[in-house]
Amino acid sequence: MDPDENRAQPSIRDSYLGRSRSEAHQTAPGVIASLIGPAAFIYVAFTLYPVLRTVWNSLHTVRAGGLTDWVGIGNYSEVLTHDPFFWNAVGNTVIFTVVSTVLDVAGGLLLALCLFAKIPFARLLRVVWFTPVLISYVVVGIIWAWVFDYDWGPLNMVLRGFGLDALTRSWLGDPRWALWAVMAAHVWKWLGFNMIIFLAALYALPGEVLGAAELDYCGWFAKTIYVIVPMLRPTIANLLALSFIGKMMVFDLIWIMTRGGPLWSTETVSTYVYKRAFDWNSFSLGYPSAIAVVWCVIILAFVVAMNLLLRRSKPLEF
Amino acid sequence: MSFEIRKYAFGRMPRYVGSPDGGGVHLLAAVGGPRFRARRLPLMIFVLLYTILAGGPLVWVAMMSIRTTPEILDNPYALPSIIHWEKFASAWIDSNYGTYFWNSIMAVAGAVCLLTMIGAMAAHCLARYRFRGAGLVRFAILSGMVLPPQLLILSLFQILIGYGLYNSLTGLILVYVSSQLGMTLYILEGFFAQIPQDLFDAARMDGYGDMDIFLRITIPVGLPAIITTMMLNLVILWNEFLFAVVLLTDDDKRTLPLGTMHFIGGHQLDIGMVATGLMIAIVPVLLLYAFFSETMIRGMTAGALR
Amino acid sequence: MKSHILSSAFATVFLVAVGLLPGSPAHADVTISVWSHEADQPAKVAFRELAARSVERAHPGTHVKITWYELSAMNAALRTALPAGQGPDVFYLEPDQTDYITSGYILPLDNLINWNEIQSWARGPRVEGKTWMMPQEAYTVELYYNKAVLQKLGFTLPSNAQFTQNQFLALVRKCRAAGITPIAEGVGDRPFPGAYLVGESLLHKLGLGDYGRLLHGQISFHDSRVMAVMNWVKQLVDAGAYPKNFMTLKLGESHSYFYQKPGALMFPVGSWFIGRAFAPASQGGMPAGFPLGIMQYPAIDKAACNECKTIGIGASFAINAATKHRDLAAAFLNTMSTPEMGQRWINTVYEQSAVRTGDVPFTGPYASYFAELQERQKGEKYFLGLPVVDTEDQCRDAWAQVMNAAFPGGLVTADRAATLMDEACYRRSH
Repeated sequence: MDPDENRAQPSIRDSYLGRSRSEAHQTAPGVIASLIGPAAFIYVAFTLYPVLRTVWNSLHTVRAGGLTDWVGIGNYSEVLTHDPFFWNAVGNTVIFTVVSTVLDVAGGLLLALCLFAKIPFARLLRVVWFTPVLISYVVVGIIWAWVFDYDWGPLNMVLRGFGLDALTRSWLGDPRWALWAVMAAHVWKWLGFNMIIFLAALYALPGEVLGAAELDYCGWFAKTIYVIVPMLRPTIANLLALSFIGKMMVFDLIWIMTRGGPLWSTETVSTYVYKRAFDWNSFSLGYPSAIAVVWCVIILAFVVAMNLLLRRSKPLEF
Repeated sequence: MSFEIRKYAFGRMPRYVGSPDGGGVHLLAAVGGPRFRARRLPLMIFVLLYTILAGGPLVWVAMMSIRTTPEILDNPYALPSIIHWEKFASAWIDSNYGTYFWNSIMAVAGAVCLLTMIGAMAAHCLARYRFRGAGLVRFAILSGMVLPPQLLILSLFQILIGYGLYNSLTGLILVYVSSQLGMTLYILEGFFAQIPQDLFDAARMDGYGDMDIFLRITIPVGLPAIITTMMLNLVILWNEFLFAVVLLTDDDKRTLPLGTMHFIGGHQLDIGMVATGLMIAIVPVLLLYAFFSETMIRGMTAGALR
Repeated sequence: MKSHILSSAFATVFLVAVGLLPGSPAHADVTISVWSHEADQPAKVAFRELAARSVERAHPGTHVKITWYELSAMNAALRTALPAGQGPDVFYLEPDQTDYITSGYILPLDNLINWNEIQSWARGPRVEGKTWMMPQEAYTVELYYNKAVLQKLGFTLPSNAQFTQNQFLALVRKCRAAGITPIAEGVGDRPFPGAYLVGESLLHKLGLGDYGRLLHGQISFHDSRVMAVMNWVKQLVDAGAYPKNFMTLKLGESHSYFYQKPGALMFPVGSWFIGRAFAPASQGGMPAGFPLGIMQYPAIDKAACNECKTIGIGASFAINAATKHRDLAAAFLNTMSTPEMGQRWINTVYEQSAVRTGDVPFTGPYASYFAELQERQKGEKYFLGLPVVDTEDQCRDAWAQVMNAAFPGGLVTADRAATLMDEACYRRSH
């Protein structure tokens, strides 16, 4: 059976399987309502109003005494043209997202391959390698802040142990390195999750293909790239998308480790939004709402672009 | 039924690599068996280093959880000289971790169950049925996913007041569901849409109703994705802080992540007790994962479509 | 069928009505809620709980429930609850949070609090001519030092306890040469410690009036007086005044950095530091017998006011404008402001109180410290408010990122720091 026939684009499916559409129509309304009802209810009750309210807020500003003023696109024009801090945050977020997504997914695949290669204690390691995922951001932040400490952090201690004193620095305190340091902590936390997904996907691969690959004699690296990765492409695509969205919204870890410093080098869009909504001396949500809406549009554009790029040619699966 | 589905779908027995244990066999034969080979040395070194990197911090936290803070500040990496088990009792009783623990279980279990049920149903609907507004529904879901929760929480709060759900675990559960629903739907719909339509046609021809189809085909075959979302939701919600701190004002309703507030203060960070609190939070989930990882992976490979 | 429906409807209505009936009130059982953030300081917890119990005794049928938070979590919770008309009856605030006033979320306290019990200067900034928060804590910005180390380095403190600029620079250089960190300070988790030294120096140079104008964006950071101070501080930074892990050292860790791990000469910090220092050593307090001294911040050349010092009001409490129990809330606040409570505050929490305690001489093991502190206040003129507290929005963020962190951390030159500050503070109002 040709897997391409099972491509899920509704339009293709509909034209190919016209009969199921007419069948669906007969039973549709009641079934659809009961299936999608609860989700729709939750959405309308809890998400729709906040979303609409955020958009509404973005068009107003709050004066003293709680009075709101309509400013139309005033907030938006300020965000887009007069706010270097916003664009700095966007830049940091994009770098953070792209690099850590690639590292996370590639690293997860690497780890899964290690486990798959039947190393000793694989089952124990499966658990050990997963534990960072379970640790809360507060503790991850505290642990890694200590790892990066200049005086007593293991990283600098190891560097000094190897005589590389010149390379030691205050990692989280240096604007050139802080973002990468936070990235390291974030990737560390999530590698285990990607690993598990990949591991399951690897176990689901057809045996005869792998057997025929003769990994030993043909070089494991080449075989990985040319045989396994293409077969895992749907999983990779899905994990890339998930990771991408999650990391675009990164907040907790940065807030705990650096609060956007030093010198705004780790300021991301969500920390900037939080500062303006909660930390600054005003209850006016107009401006942070405008930032959020602009950011939302940017992300959606990315997601749609990614969808078109990645989902177009291959069916998606785990 | 599930076996027959697969047989029908593929016309033959699927021959994937098999059980998680058998899985490595082919590779093993290819790579030359469990005996030591020089070629595998870099691999083993890498494995060892990464194990230290991944497991080291947790071991360190475990050590810190049974030492007092002054001891830790004195020598961060030393092994515990006296084992202070009383810290756990102190955290459980004095700092109210016992209450927080049960609240966390109720809130997270409730939210994950609801998310799985509601998400699976809605994803099945979006994947299987064409109806007006499906595109709008997808867009709405995605938009809920990408707006920062830091802002949404302000309006969300007003809603909860309106429904009388402020300062209640029920309210928190519903908020958790709404916050994770987008991602859950995104994952599940992407997967469900891949299930071959023929399975459904066959079942319909056999006379199965819509709900039956959902329960007997989509769920078993979609199990990998369902397990993935359950795991992801569990991990994210177990450690969720912002919604919980803003929406729960009674100490007896608070969840585990809020427990750290007892130890993170204006002037000092009681790292010893934070570590103890973390062990209380992480050990149950870790044990859960350790016991079920095998089952989980089986579940995730059970519905393999290749 | 119809009667069946009817009876079930009736039953439903009945049950609902019964469920909605209020329980018979024997007497008015009132609970007032209080939110505070000092959960990790047992002395303060005990203090507030004591006040709560007093109120309960004085007003039978009243319950006072205190919920403890960590500071930023509490702010997030407040800022979410208050706009929705919820929130506690009484909550912790700091005087810089004037947005609560302008948004109408708290009540004016002029007629509710017995102001005779509060120090006059502590009544805080008046907005619209009214007072809105009741101060509990006061602190001054001090420069603590290790007497033994100073002696070892061969320096003696002048009689007015104030070094000159050159003397101070020489001290820092000699200290670093001896392998000791001159100033223990860390900005890993707070937006203000790094700015103490440069802030006080600016205050000395500019005097009360102009320093305030600088903070509010009316004087440029490129002003020659400001640049003179900044260049001098840069010399200190380049001489290695601050620890190498200054950018990431946490406030709590800087305490032990000062004492003995690895030990430093000086520690610029607010006098609330004592609340932690006098705790037992096993809980992170000062080691027994530590030779603690207090010196004044260095005298700046051609300064307007070398006897100026920053004073701050710390913990304050406010009453929710939406409260239904205004008098009980006020009673709680008043209970915490009696002279006895003020005395208790000083003796158990070891911080200065905004409450009048009368001229009771200091007793107890720390009497000599308080005596020395008193000495250092003689003849001082006070500027109320820290930079990071007194500024707004982008300017405040810039103080936290630049003057507090990047500049003392050696990441930017004095000129660049001044430019960044001007962009955030001076340009905004011009």
